[in-house]
Amino acid sequence: MANVQMPAQNLPAGRGDNAFVAGLRRILRDPFSVAALVIYVLLVLVAIFADQLMTHDPTQIQFRANGRVATNQPVSEAFLLGTTNLGRDIYSQLIAGSRNALMVGVTAAISVAALGTLVGLLSGYFGGRIDAFLMRLADVALAIPFLPFVIVLSGFFRANTWNVVIAVALLLWPNTARVIRSQVLTVKERAYVEAARVTGASDLRILFVHVAPNILPLTFLYGSVAIGWAILTEAAVSFVGFGDPSRISWGFMLQDAFVSQALSRGSWNWFLPPGLCIILVVIAGFFLARGAEEVLFPKLRS
Amino acid sequence: MGFALRRLAHSLFVLWAVVTILFLMFRLMPGNPLAAYINEQLSEDDQRLIMAQFGLNRPLYEQYVIYLWNLLQGNLGMSFFRREPVWDVLKSALPNTLILTITGLVIAYIFGILTGAWLATKRGTLAEAVIVPAALATRAAPEFWIGMILLTIFAFTFGWFPSGGANSAGAAYTSEWDRILSRDYVLHLVLPALTLALYLQGLPLLLMRSTMLEILHDEFITMAKIKGLSPWRITIHHAARNALLPVVTAFALGLGATLGGNVVVETVFSWPGLGRLLVAAVAQSDYPLAQGAFFLISLVLIILNLIVDLVYGWLDPRVSHG
Amino acid sequence: MEPPVLDVRNLSIEYRTSRGIVRAVDGVSFSVPKGAIVGLVGESGCGKTTVARSITGVLHQSARIAGGELVFKGKDLVAAPEKEWLEKRWRDISFIPQSAMNSLDPVYRIGAQLEEVLVHRGGRTRAEARSRSSELFDMVGLNPARLDEYPHQFSGGMRQRVAIALALALDPGLVIADEPVTALDVIVQRQILDVIRDLQRKLSLSMILVTHDISVVAYVSDKVVVMYAGRVVETGSTADVLERPRHPYMMGLTNAFPDLDTAAHDLVPIDGSPPDLASPPSGCRFAPRCPFLLPRCETDDPASAALGEGRSVACHRAPEADDLRARAKESATWLPA
Repeated sequence: MANVQMPAQNLPAGRGDNAFVAGLRRILRDPFSVAALVIYVLLVLVAIFADQLMTHDPTQIQFRANGRVATNQPVSEAFLLGTTNLGRDIYSQLIAGSRNALMVGVTAAISVAALGTLVGLLSGYFGGRIDAFLMRLADVALAIPFLPFVIVLSGFFRANTWNVVIAVALLLWPNTARVIRSQVLTVKERAYVEAARVTGASDLRILFVHVAPNILPLTFLYGSVAIGWAILTEAAVSFVGFGDPSRISWGFMLQDAFVSQALSRGSWNWFLPPGLCIILVVIAGFFLARGAEEVLFPKLRS
Repeated sequence: MGFALRRLAHSLFVLWAVVTILFLMFRLMPGNPLAAYINEQLSEDDQRLIMAQFGLNRPLYEQYVIYLWNLLQGNLGMSFFRREPVWDVLKSALPNTLILTITGLVIAYIFGILTGAWLATKRGTLAEAVIVPAALATRAAPEFWIGMILLTIFAFTFGWFPSGGANSAGAAYTSEWDRILSRDYVLHLVLPALTLALYLQGLPLLLMRSTMLEILHDEFITMAKIKGLSPWRITIHHAARNALLPVVTAFALGLGATLGGNVVVETVFSWPGLGRLLVAAVAQSDYPLAQGAFFLISLVLIILNLIVDLVYGWLDPRVSHG
Repeated sequence: MEPPVLDVRNLSIEYRTSRGIVRAVDGVSFSVPKGAIVGLVGESGCGKTTVARSITGVLHQSARIAGGELVFKGKDLVAAPEKEWLEKRWRDISFIPQSAMNSLDPVYRIGAQLEEVLVHRGGRTRAEARSRSSELFDMVGLNPARLDEYPHQFSGGMRQRVAIALALALDPGLVIADEPVTALDVIVQRQILDVIRDLQRKLSLSMILVTHDISVVAYVSDKVVVMYAGRVVETGSTADVLERPRHPYMMGLTNAFPDLDTAAHDLVPIDGSPPDLASPPSGCRFAPRCPFLLPRCETDDPASAALGEGRSVACHRAPEADDLRARAKESATWLPA
């Protein structure tokens, strides 16, 4: 067929913006992402100014005016969220917990993102045996029951926040790695990578100078989701009694409430706030990830 | 057929890998390699028996082979605390975990998939504005916290359901089947299963909805409309059927992370399953029992994964038919 | 003379976009004679696909018919209730999409998808549907044994044959093919067009074939309708329009191959691009690119003038067409001013 085609209509030229700035601007236009950022900022501020925000020492037993221990006090001016059954101020514990949440969340997120990205990069770039081995490893990691593993780790080693972080990193990297890997596979075929190879750049150089920058946004995306998982895991581990006893965390508060029969007593002021705080921080991670995803993989709608 | 066999081979490989990791984990941890199986709590006779059965004075690689062989025969060692074979202890807990897990999963996924598909047709309505954030909140909430709330409301405040355990104390049954199917058991099952379901439904709901929304823009859906097929047929027979695929994939990927949560639900409701057994075993440093419980939980997970893989192959002909 | 199967009268279709309301189709009129293939030709964005889709009654979410009539077998569909249009879908008016891969449901067997229309729209029984499916496969040159396979197991050309089989399943009065061979490679294109042409002759089908490729139109269609920027600029029998174009746009395009049988010459591209339909120009839409521009072309929008025997053209200088055509053959005419 003599392929004589009608000329296509010219498309309007796009605005040549710096991609990063444009992406940031788009994220800020999404109300959910903004909400997420607000929550994170609040969390950081509360954690930094925890000492000033707390009304009492969270571990100290409080007493009432009549000299008795202030057990199970309801919400009042003195105790903003009431007290535990041992007379500790719930509100102050909640504030103290933010520190733990931030620390666990951030370190775990960084670990998962780092490990997942590293594996994804190596797997995608070098392919072959390395790829096959790493992907099998991913399958095995996904087959290990998550919480039981963390519990065993915490139980047999010392009960330590770092165990949670390590466990989260060890078992949650596959999802990140898989996505990074497929992205690397796409980037690998691009012209500038070929050009770099032709000019004799070493593999490592290509990997870190050319491929990595295209991958980092994805890393960030999966990192934000990992924050939520880490906090939830730490809470669960604390709940079953293997949490770090030297730290107050929201998970610890919930465990404390549970074993102290706060449920049968209906002490909502005790076990509702920590759960709500966890929900807020985790959902912020979801929203941020969703917002970042919209920017990274915009769905083309006509 | 080839597809099923490939998936089975893959599962066996993963099982072997997990079992090996388990072996290393428990040998490396307590410091003394014998401590994984022997303890002063066991009688002298039992100690010698285990020593022989597991070849604990042999080199590590021999122990490994013996360990695998024992595993195949169901010999998981002797529980320090209960002084019975680990398998016997696990045997009674296994059905409880299976029933809880499967009940929770079925409720969650049927509800999630149907609601997600329905919600996709309700773009921009109040239902969407309420249900989507609510589903997100259930995904962001700690599983045990959901359980705690349900427990407080329905067991303590309203008193409709028992607050823990799988059977009321003092009840006697003629057989396992009778016990499981009794009204008493079901009443005890409701809250923990509901907790698990509430926790799990967020994923299928949100994923089904977002996949449907995308698929409804796909060309084959437009073609279906041009063919004049009924809206019902288009939404369910074509769109939903295709939307199921990513949901099944996500389910498989999330199994390890979400079902491990059985552990906390069983703790909240004192449900006598493998999770609760594991927690107790770890707390008591009962290594053989902990190892056995962990192994069984992993096995259940791997089998579930295999089933999901096969289901996916059945649903997506592009995977099972060359 | 039999009445036409389809009479499109002054059809207008609007899209709601972020830039406001865009009239993608503005007063389009043409007719489809019974038993003929009408080639609807134009470049991307001229509105031809929108016109084609509007006949099926399934438009994009943001589009709506703003005016005009679609008279199918004597009955206007635009004015009729949706129910009537629904009735006609596939039974009377069917559609061959551009890319059959994306238009077939990937999780069901091909046979099942054929049976679906036969049973649910055609009222056949399972058994009747089964035998009719085999018949259809034979018609398009596919082996009926392959009815049990899945879409991904077919090649591109075969899938287009499936699309044709699907479109013919219920013996429709009108078949609309939207770029049916664009996604295929050149050799397969020829084969599929042959299938279409043969079937059309055998079954006396009435067809609208939408394409941007003039050679496709030259190969199969009896009549040509040329669209530009949402308007019809020229209609007529294929031979006449291609050998003796009367609209400058068509002249510019046929310049590329003055002779139907010879290979493509150097393309002399028409300088410029179509107007933005969000704010259409006041005069002739082709004015900015027309080498034969007169002052009134920029202020007066030429209406389509009928020239007898189904021939029409929308150009102020239509009477001088023969002279213009001669000048159009020189590449100097088309160089930007």
